[in-house]
Amino acid sequence: MSRITVYTARKVRTMNPSFPEAEAVAVRDGRIVEVGTLDSMKPWLGAHEHVIDDRFKDHVLMPGFIDPHIHPAVGGVLLPSYWITAMEWQLPDRISPAIKTHEGYLERLGEIERSMDDPDEVLLTWGFHKIWHGDVFREQLNEISQTRPVFVLQRSFHEAVTNDAGLDWLEAERSELERHHQIDLETGRFFETGLAVLFQSVNKITLNPERFARGLEMHKRMVHLGGHTTVGDMAYPMMNHDFEWEMLSERIDRDDVPFRMKIVPRGALRGDWNGSPTENLARVNEMETLGTHRLRFGNAVKLFADGGFNAELMQLLPPGYIDGHHGEWLVAPEYFRALAEQYWKDGKQIHVHCTGDMGLELALTVLEDLLAVQPRFNHRFTIEHCGVSTPEQAGRIRDLGAIVSAAVYYVHELGEAYWHHSIGYERAFQMSRMGTLERLGITTAFHSDFVVSPPQPLHTAWVAVNRFAESGAVLGERERTSLDFAMRAITIDAAYVLNMENEIGSIRAGKLADFTVLEADPWETPLEDLKDIPIWGTVFEGRPFPVEK
Amino acid sequence: MTTRIPITILSGYLGAGKTTIINRLLSGDHGRRVAVLVNDFGAVNIDASLIETEDDNTISLTNGCVCCSIGDDLGAALDAQAARHIPPENILLEASGVAEPKRIATHVGFWPGFELDALIVAADAETVRNRANDKFVGQLVRSQIRHADIIALTKTDLVGPEAARGVKAWLRNQVPNARIFEAPNGTLPVALAFGADRASNALSGPVEPAPHSHLRTVMCVPGTGLSRAGLARAIEALPSSVHRVKGFFRDLETGRMTLLQCVGRRHEFLEAPTDTETVLVLIGVGSDTEMNGAMDLLTASDALEADPKSTFAARISD
Repeated sequence: MSRITVYTARKVRTMNPSFPEAEAVAVRDGRIVEVGTLDSMKPWLGAHEHVIDDRFKDHVLMPGFIDPHIHPAVGGVLLPSYWITAMEWQLPDRISPAIKTHEGYLERLGEIERSMDDPDEVLLTWGFHKIWHGDVFREQLNEISQTRPVFVLQRSFHEAVTNDAGLDWLEAERSELERHHQIDLETGRFFETGLAVLFQSVNKITLNPERFARGLEMHKRMVHLGGHTTVGDMAYPMMNHDFEWEMLSERIDRDDVPFRMKIVPRGALRGDWNGSPTENLARVNEMETLGTHRLRFGNAVKLFADGGFNAELMQLLPPGYIDGHHGEWLVAPEYFRALAEQYWKDGKQIHVHCTGDMGLELALTVLEDLLAVQPRFNHRFTIEHCGVSTPEQAGRIRDLGAIVSAAVYYVHELGEAYWHHSIGYERAFQMSRMGTLERLGITTAFHSDFVVSPPQPLHTAWVAVNRFAESGAVLGERERTSLDFAMRAITIDAAYVLNMENEIGSIRAGKLADFTVLEADPWETPLEDLKDIPIWGTVFEGRPFPVEK
Repeated sequence: MTTRIPITILSGYLGAGKTTIINRLLSGDHGRRVAVLVNDFGAVNIDASLIETEDDNTISLTNGCVCCSIGDDLGAALDAQAARHIPPENILLEASGVAEPKRIATHVGFWPGFELDALIVAADAETVRNRANDKFVGQLVRSQIRHADIIALTKTDLVGPEAARGVKAWLRNQVPNARIFEAPNGTLPVALAFGADRASNALSGPVEPAPHSHLRTVMCVPGTGLSRAGLARAIEALPSSVHRVKGFFRDLETGRMTLLQCVGRRHEFLEAPTDTETVLVLIGVGSDTEMNGAMDLLTASDALEADPKSTFAARISD
């Protein structure tokens, strides 16, 4: 048996309500053996060889942060692009500063173009958003470069814009672009289905294995920078199992990686609109046998109800959207039900992507029926995202024993935009209703859904406790949560959502020795500064991993 | 003239009978080289004696048709068809049950190398009315019906003639002038799915016989040039028993040979090669009197009028 290492700290916030604070934690073979003070742990220290490591004497230890819902493959695709964003993003090799003006956008794009050495490299930039960056059209991109293809990808893939060199570079004939109703050659804009024509060519860059591997490396470092020791890949695979599994095995399942990933397979693959539920179950069960030390499976699947929140395709109950458009179902409700029934009977934990209140209504209706057909305890049916919901639905989530993994960031980035342009004040005011979930005692995790929002749990918690909208105004003060609730949502309650709370999520004897090392104590920091607490790094299974400065 | 491959979209909610239609079409002895792109490959069920080769996502049939799985990339599935040694004459694309028809029509109708021919929506006589009122999918089902060029009413054999009449009346109430085709056993004639034979010269030869008593094809060679505006107006006035019109005519205004394509309530005019022979073909389910009356209406458009206008483009994007 190995020697015990005792980490002493200014404070240990255990997130174990029975034993909330400590000064030292003793670790052996990657697991916690004792929590308390040097004095209280004497029986252990007296009996075993040990070493005291006081490198954290000025730091605060918390349980390793957990983000139960990210998409590594999306990171693999997007991180190698050039980012120009309206919000500040901390990237592994750079900060993408908040650029909120049209002039600022074009200036930054010009800088990037001039910095590129290879004249043949295509310039792909992600993060553009009209609200902040105004109209960016072909002519302006021609001024950035006459010869280099430039593709401006809108932040949530609503549209893309290119220059003349880009139009020439695309595989599709000019005449085919010209007749397309959702491509405007004058402005160089591609939108909706026109985007697919652009990606027909652009995907050949983004899915290049070497580039994807580089993106995954950057993604790993972002996960570490955020202070995570566990993340959930909430819908695996994104596109192609063989390709992604090879990439993940090679890049994540390594001794120098300071986090583990819980992989939740898709209950039905993309493009499979009505495949047999039994065959899907067999596929998922077979996949579960692939698990390794860092790439873990559990008895869980991901299903989808309604469309994307950022794309305004969530399904809404009346009165719907201001402009009268409708959301979409990602799979037919009957097929969703058939899949849910299959996985329910097999005893799986079911995570359901629900963004709008009608999507949530469907999920809860199906859950209620499943409970009537075959009651289950501790089923952990999880509502993923929970963007627009009603207070009554929150009550039903509790009554049915469901739990929530929430995309809290919506209210920060989109709250005001959706108030003015999408759903109006009252519902925008109450979106991501975390305060209600807290009052009802519903177990809740927060997630980033990276790249929907930054993978920084303290930032997510900051949104939940403050509900600062993009302008800085507070939107929905009654839906703010307590600090305790928010910190549980990125530690022990997130562990519960991943069905790993016996191993991670709090600092107590027997659990894995995963810590996030903070430069300040969240409980002694003003709530509005929560996101700015510096992270020293993490301890993963007993080994310190400082973040690279 | 276009060399794009025409696509017929087969839409309709879950259980509307799309797969039965596809299975019948694939097995049919109709002489067309059709590629059928499907979502659920496992549901395709074809007599083994008709299968030439089969692999994980393609079945090649002895009648020249192929059936392929769409997978998760619709554009790639279309590109693969265009890249075949001998590309198909027509594509039948099975839309997912939850697809908004106008979105998928725009997606595939403008995909490089392809064009929209028809949007056919399968509606199940047994369940469509309930589905159209469903809390979760009512809006989607109504939208699918509203955007159909042709509604294929399935399972009429299961509900009986009286109920079928009721459903048709209800559909016409939802969509004035709806083109409805009864497909009791999932039988969708190729002339309805893909129109009169695509090769322009075939139009002047004998027209393929309609395999079903209630689908009729009427052909006529107008003696004079025709006016686009007059045709456009005549098309608006056609009875709902006329499902398709295709024809070549000399445009009175420009003097050029012009192609008219009309599916359901949607039509377009395109430039045609100068040496094309004049002909008009109607496909529909009307009586002889009705079909001939419709032809008379079209060929009466022989006076020059102002403001020719195509509604084709407007309809699929509105």
